[in-house]
Amino acid sequence: MSEEKKENKKEEFEPKIVGFLCNWCSYAGADLAGTSRIQYPPNVRIIRVMCSGSVDSMYILRALLEGADGVFVGGCHPGDCHYIDGNYKARRRMVLLNNILETLGLEKERVWLRWISASEGQKFADTMKDMTAAIKKLGPNPIAKHWNI
Amino acid sequence: MVHKIIKFKNNDVVGSINDFLKNLLETGKLNALLVQQSTPSKKVAFPVLISDAKKLHADIIAPILPSSTAKIVSKMTKFQASPKPIGVVMHPCQIRALVELVKLNQAKLDNIVIIGVDCLGTFSMNTYADLHGKKKPTELLLESLKKKNDEVEKNLRTACQVCKDPIPTNADIIIGLYGSDIEKEVLIEACTENGKNILDSVKLDEEKDSKNREKAVKEIREQKSKKREEFLKEKSSIKGIDKLAEFFDKCVNCHNCRQACPICYCKECLFDSSVFDSEAYKFLRKAETKGLFKMPNDSLLFQLGRMNHMILSCVECGLCEQACPNEIPLMDVFIQVAENAQKEFGYTPGKDLKEKIPMIVYKEDEFTEVGEK
Repeated sequence: MSEEKKENKKEEFEPKIVGFLCNWCSYAGADLAGTSRIQYPPNVRIIRVMCSGSVDSMYILRALLEGADGVFVGGCHPGDCHYIDGNYKARRRMVLLNNILETLGLEKERVWLRWISASEGQKFADTMKDMTAAIKKLGPNPIAKHWNI
Repeated sequence: MVHKIIKFKNNDVVGSINDFLKNLLETGKLNALLVQQSTPSKKVAFPVLISDAKKLHADIIAPILPSSTAKIVSKMTKFQASPKPIGVVMHPCQIRALVELVKLNQAKLDNIVIIGVDCLGTFSMNTYADLHGKKKPTELLLESLKKKNDEVEKNLRTACQVCKDPIPTNADIIIGLYGSDIEKEVLIEACTENGKNILDSVKLDEEKDSKNREKAVKEIREQKSKKREEFLKEKSSIKGIDKLAEFFDKCVNCHNCRQACPICYCKECLFDSSVFDSEAYKFLRKAETKGLFKMPNDSLLFQLGRMNHMILSCVECGLCEQACPNEIPLMDVFIQVAENAQKEFGYTPGKDLKEKIPMIVYKEDEFTEVGEK
């Protein structure tokens, strides 16, 4: 029984998530999660950016076309942006990107935009848990199998 | 709005319209005209900037769009507004593109007089050149305006067959072909104060009754929008990874579509950089994970990335498709995405100069479902 369980675990799909975190809030939030020793799944690969508004949809598309199973974009809460309105613009970009993801046939649930402040270490860890679970449910990125993309 | 008519001499449509344009130059109301003129071989008509009225032999209804006239206006005015009035004769799609370029700070409209021409549709460069040997393409189209001819319609570029709006908006002066008795006369409409001033300087008959015009405009708009809907429905199946990969199969990453696009104005494009070149070990690592992958490896990313950057301003002129060396029917996908994305933001490119492009404005309480559940 226990051996069977082990084998199941071996086969379990571990999603790769690329996370773009804004320097002022979400990255500090992730930092806090780390310094507070809050456990969260190691599936996310964090890239620090200056603002969620600086994340061009091209970054996200490239990650997905290269086979990432999910992309996470973290920004300051609405109204808290260090650059006043970057996160509002990030949100508009995400709406536009969703249209293109639809044409591409990728689930828009693979791309998450969330607001995490510098003090929300726990929220960051929880969000990572939720996202990893959600992407596990969705399964691997179908693009990864295609060699002609 | 002021309506006037040009009465044709000897049934000569093109010549009579040219006389009108010459008049504009001679009266000094315009210092130059940007207008399509057939090359000596007559195989194509290209935009020329003309200041000598004697040399004007324009062919404004020649059904061809070799390159974006909006881009040409941008070329001339992006650094500094024109010091003297220039008249630019443009297709409706190019006026829409020019409006977008102005919003993107790539063109200045001061001293630019937009003369819009009702569009009867255009042929691809090759079709136009081939047709020339048999029958003049302009005559062919004028005939089809009088009498519906499906054969002619079928030969038009896809973008023209399903044109969003063949009637110019945001023009100072409109040369109205729809609703005019094309055997005898053509309607000239002044839509702005500036346009009115210019028309006043030219001797033309006043036309009080524009009912015919309104009816014809309504009709053609309905007809085109019906065709566009059918087209959208027909092509809606090009979706999903497999179909999209197949659709772009012939893409050789030449970036001609970007070059032809009036909206793609970036001086330096990400795809011209060496971002996608890297050390050999990175390519090897990818090959080892995937087993194999197509090279160059950024062609679909280029298509989707370009789409993402320009689609909200896409005026559906179809120049990208015309520029494709491998004849990928780009409009099949781009019109689809443009329709959905523009609807999402309630934005119509080319409609209103004062309306800001959606990516630079925002509301605090919109799209809340995207950020946080």
